[in-house]
Amino acid sequence: MERPKKNLLVVDDSATFRQLLCMSLARVDGIAPSNITEAVDGEDALNKVQNATFDLVLTDIRMPNMDGLEFVRRVRGDLKQDLPIIIISTKGADEDISLGMSIGASAYLSKPISMVKLRELIFKFLGK
Amino acid sequence: MGEKPEEIMKLFSKSEELLEMFRKGKAFTEELMYENERLRYRIVQLEKEKMDLSATLMREVERLRLENSQMGQKLEFVDGRFQEIEAENKDFAQRYVEVEEQNESLANLYVASYRLHSTLDPDEVVQCIKEILMNMIGSEEFGLYVVDEETSELVLAGYEGEIAQRFEKGRVAFGEGLEGLVAQTGELFFTEDAGASGEVCACIPLKIKERVVGVIAMYKLLPHKKGLSSLDHKLLELLAGHAATALVSSKLYAVADRKLKTIEGFMSLLRVR
Repeated sequence: MERPKKNLLVVDDSATFRQLLCMSLARVDGIAPSNITEAVDGEDALNKVQNATFDLVLTDIRMPNMDGLEFVRRVRGDLKQDLPIIIISTKGADEDISLGMSIGASAYLSKPISMVKLRELIFKFLGK
Repeated sequence: MGEKPEEIMKLFSKSEELLEMFRKGKAFTEELMYENERLRYRIVQLEKEKMDLSATLMREVERLRLENSQMGQKLEFVDGRFQEIEAENKDFAQRYVEVEEQNESLANLYVASYRLHSTLDPDEVVQCIKEILMNMIGSEEFGLYVVDEETSELVLAGYEGEIAQRFEKGRVAFGEGLEGLVAQTGELFFTEDAGASGEVCACIPLKIKERVVGVIAMYKLLPHKKGLSSLDHKLLELLAGHAATALVSSKLYAVADRKLKTIEGFMSLLRVR
């Protein structure tokens, strides 16, 4: 019996990076391209999280309107949701990672990302 | 010889007793001899058994020694196979990582070229080049220059970091500085490794055939990125060709569109009169 597909939310203001991420994620077992939703900033992502159920969120930090950190804070604080959130950002210093993890991110990856590492995290949070 | 008959009888009785004693002694001796014979026979039997057992034992020891030696050889073979399989596994794992890296590389190249040619808006093309440089290559500080045909200068069309402050009016003459030199010669320039602060220098001419239409200059990588990988080189080489055509075609389209709109404006004015 085929396993139910997982729902993912990809949040990034860069259309290029969103496309790259969606394309790479669609190659992972258990993820169908139709189950990947895109959001252009934190605000858009927050609306989508409120109106649908996601198994995993991948978010950038530097975005207009609402940045990724604020988005994570709202998901954990206002929505009280504990869904796994992976931050993927160009900010890769130790203090950036500590900050991201302290506000409730489940994992942190620095851009440019390695798909092998991202896949490991996906398997960790969604199971193989 | 005048012995009394009682004494004779007594003497006779004693001799009888003595005779009886001798008889018993004889029987006992015979019994002992028989037992001795039996025991000797038993000893011979046991010795034979011992020799048989010893021979069996020796055969068993020999068989076990042979088995042990065969098992040793088998173990050696299995150990060898195990090491071979382990090496194969490592090789497969390495190949898997390489294939994954190639897939990653192809996905990056595909998305980069797809995005570059998905728009005819010059600003969007510049934005796309910036996104590729930031998100896919990991550049923190870079400048995108386009050639101004009239003045033979490079004009800063997009940047990230503190680049704008380096150049007066955002223009660089051909042959001036590394950017101008790359524009003049049309040759790529790479430094091998990033410095401790992530400083790197990569200057790539954007060319359509042999005509240089712009230059991408990278000055600094993101702090966590230690150097340019082979994928980065491929991406930059791809950018050299695709970004050039995307920039020129979008500019041409923008000019044509502007002209078309002007003509349409004139036409509608003429129609009104």
